[in-house]
Amino acid sequence: MWKTVLRRILIMIPQLIILSILVFFLAKMMPGDPFSGQINPNTDPKQIEALKRAAGLYDPVPVQYARWVGNLFKGDLGTSYIQHVPVTSLIADRAVNTFWLSLFSTVISYSIAIPMGISAGRHQDEWQDQAVQIFNYITLAVPPFVFYILGIWLFGFTLGWFPISGSISPNASGFWGTLGSEIYHIILPGTLVALITTTSVVQYLRTGIVDNKVEDYVRTAHSKGVPEKVVFNKHILRNSLLPIASSFGTVITGLLSGSMIVESVFSYPGMGKLFLDSIGQRDYTTLTALILIFGFLTLLGNLLSDIIMSIVDPRIRIK
Amino acid sequence: MKSKKLLGSVGVITAAALSLVACGKSADNGNTNEAKKASKFPIEVPKKETKQGGTVKLAIESDSPFTGIFSEELSTTKTDSDVVAPGAESLFDVNDTYQINDKGPATMKINKKDKTVTVTIKKGVKWSDGKQVTAKDYEYAYEIIANKATQSERYTSQLAFLKGLEEYHEGKSKTISGFEMPDGENGRTAVLHFKELKPGMYNSGNGYFWEAVAPYHYLKDVPFSKLNSSDKIRKKPLYFGPYQVSKVVRGQSVTWVPNKYYWRGKPKLDKVVSQVVSSNSTSQAIKSHKFDIADVINTQWKQVKDTKGVNFVAKIPLQYSYLGFKVGKWDAKHSKNVMDKNAKMNNKSLRQAIGYAMNISSVYKKYTGGLTFHVTTLIPPQFGDYHNSDIKGYTYNLKKANQLLDKAGYKKKGKWRVQPNGKPLKIHLLAAGGDATRGPIIQNYIQQWHKIGLNVSLVGGRLAEANSFFDKIKNDDPSVDMFMAGWSMSSEPSPADFFAEGSPFNYQRFVTPEQTKLLNSLDSQKAFNHKYRVEKFHEWQKYMFDQAFIIPTRNSYAITAVNNKLTGYSLKPTHGNSLWYEVGYKK
Repeated sequence: MWKTVLRRILIMIPQLIILSILVFFLAKMMPGDPFSGQINPNTDPKQIEALKRAAGLYDPVPVQYARWVGNLFKGDLGTSYIQHVPVTSLIADRAVNTFWLSLFSTVISYSIAIPMGISAGRHQDEWQDQAVQIFNYITLAVPPFVFYILGIWLFGFTLGWFPISGSISPNASGFWGTLGSEIYHIILPGTLVALITTTSVVQYLRTGIVDNKVEDYVRTAHSKGVPEKVVFNKHILRNSLLPIASSFGTVITGLLSGSMIVESVFSYPGMGKLFLDSIGQRDYTTLTALILIFGFLTLLGNLLSDIIMSIVDPRIRIK
Repeated sequence: MKSKKLLGSVGVITAAALSLVACGKSADNGNTNEAKKASKFPIEVPKKETKQGGTVKLAIESDSPFTGIFSEELSTTKTDSDVVAPGAESLFDVNDTYQINDKGPATMKINKKDKTVTVTIKKGVKWSDGKQVTAKDYEYAYEIIANKATQSERYTSQLAFLKGLEEYHEGKSKTISGFEMPDGENGRTAVLHFKELKPGMYNSGNGYFWEAVAPYHYLKDVPFSKLNSSDKIRKKPLYFGPYQVSKVVRGQSVTWVPNKYYWRGKPKLDKVVSQVVSSNSTSQAIKSHKFDIADVINTQWKQVKDTKGVNFVAKIPLQYSYLGFKVGKWDAKHSKNVMDKNAKMNNKSLRQAIGYAMNISSVYKKYTGGLTFHVTTLIPPQFGDYHNSDIKGYTYNLKKANQLLDKAGYKKKGKWRVQPNGKPLKIHLLAAGGDATRGPIIQNYIQQWHKIGLNVSLVGGRLAEANSFFDKIKNDDPSVDMFMAGWSMSSEPSPADFFAEGSPFNYQRFVTPEQTKLLNSLDSQKAFNHKYRVEKFHEWQKYMFDQAFIIPTRNSYAITAVNNKLTGYSLKPTHGNSLWYEVGYKK
């Protein structure tokens, strides 16, 4: 198996190279450049031109690409055109925020979704199932941004329970103060995200349970006289959890990708927001670095999923 | 460059997409009553006696975290300057028509004979670490701007009117020869030697000399190339204004405490917090009193206007939107605009007719509740006598528009008019997306133009994304015949650099000898005579109105919601520099 893993990692290299070429050239094809938005009071177009030339934006795109890759190998992702700080430090800063927010929402999401899925599958067509289905339809049908805005309006503004923007309060000080403030800031967005992302887990689990309940091995277990509880927990549930485990790899790496929508609504400085801003501002260095990271995370996530599957499900063997 | 800019709209688009407000729907409620009320906005909150203490939360509306480059010389965004308003003070105070006076941290004297400007910093104007602001601090600001290593975007050919600045910028000289410090580096006087003096120099925002200082003693150890990312700029910047930075949360908030060395006196508040709030949350933030001072987004006005406990103040910003006609091309090789005599839009009558067919006033009454209004001429009334009030602008008159077209030979063939040479006439309008009212407003104009037989349609059939919009007009994309954009102006009214033959900002590419002559006269030596300058400004505005290669359309109130327990908040230019010293809680 480890050979396979190694091979998969090696295959990732050409994949990433192709991705980087696509990303770089596509980014350059977007109209405008990082300096388009900088035509502001007290700028001279001549100076902007000079800065663009100095930044190498007038070099042929392949030359720019070569320079970028060269720096990449030195671990230098470049300096953000807009923020004027190294991209690595910018991303590190945002990744931490996104990681905690995503971790919080993922944990909550699973802790809601799994009991819901179990209950719905177990009590198929009973009221528990119907309640879960209604909840599912609602969360699936409501566009996330509407849901978030409603949430921020109700809990942020009307009730005033939670902060409405940012990742930390300006008054926070000391280790515990800072930590407390940071957690306080992720509760509302994290919970909202969790509530609206339960659908697929609930559905997979419910369907799995419903399908497995009528499988032959379940009937066999029943006829052997295995207690109902054991049949459910040991046979049905474990098999039904497989589809969820199969997506676990991408969930883990997804912790760093962030969510553009929730981060925008809550002005939460995370990776998703950074990605969105870097597109709008044509901050090429940040943009290309982010896509490359996202691409890498996706590939890594798929690999992790496969590894996880082969561990939890002995029937699946990577050949 | 004399600050005018193309108004960016990326932020506005996001705001519109996420906004709680269904602006388009509420449009027809906007009646004249509303308009009247809007024009009666006070410019400042009631004056009351202030008490010491209290915290003020200042909303910074931005859909992205702020960049946080806390240096006037290096910063590139308006958000950053908004964030640092409580601490950043300019060298000069101004009167209500933006002329520099003697009341600020420094005084300025122009000597026409020697072509010098003498700037004297007042004694007692101190950085928040207690050090006197010196002439070297002023020179250092110039060095930051002009040294190529800092990559400052603020270096301009206008600043290079200062002798020796260009040589310093090019690296040919280690010092700026035209910057003289008669009392030495630690003195408070700087004499600036110019290649030429300009009449605009009496105004703040003139662009010929810098109006800020940088703390040399504090920053001198940081290499120029590292300034932009240094902690001394990003985390612990030094100011000489009423408040000093106590804490920066990157991209999110800055906490300010009083500067105990502040030269005007003791600031009134204990603490000021500038904090980012996304524009889609602004109206709710105002209604729920999350902030003490917050700008109102005009499309959200209806939601907030009845909020209790808030005073609304407003000013008319120095900006206007306009309709521009492409009549030429930018010649990059010679860095100048070249007019194309055969351009489709190079017909005065056609342009005028398009202007007369726009029902600007009624549109804005309908769609913006009167917060947006018709602009008649390119120099707004805020510039006092420079504004030509005789020009009434292009007011809705379809009959006149038809007459103009008939007379100029644009005959009707079927539904549409054709060009005088018989070729079909299709006009392509480029406009960028914005808030929810933008689409309907532009469709309305297109309908009006259809009424006079002009086949006008949007480029690509829809509103453009901001970057691609800018790209197209900057590069004279042949698919564009006319476009809708906006300028924001500096507080010195001279428009020369934006309509001049050599200005890349002259997106219309309109150049005539008459226009060049008029523009030159505005900033000529003769124009030091105020009466002459005013006369020429009037003449230029009249010429621009007649030529109609750019038709100013609208401007809007900029409204701010201020906690009604606060006093001292004013949007008058006179108070601009001392605003944060004056803001405090009522007794």
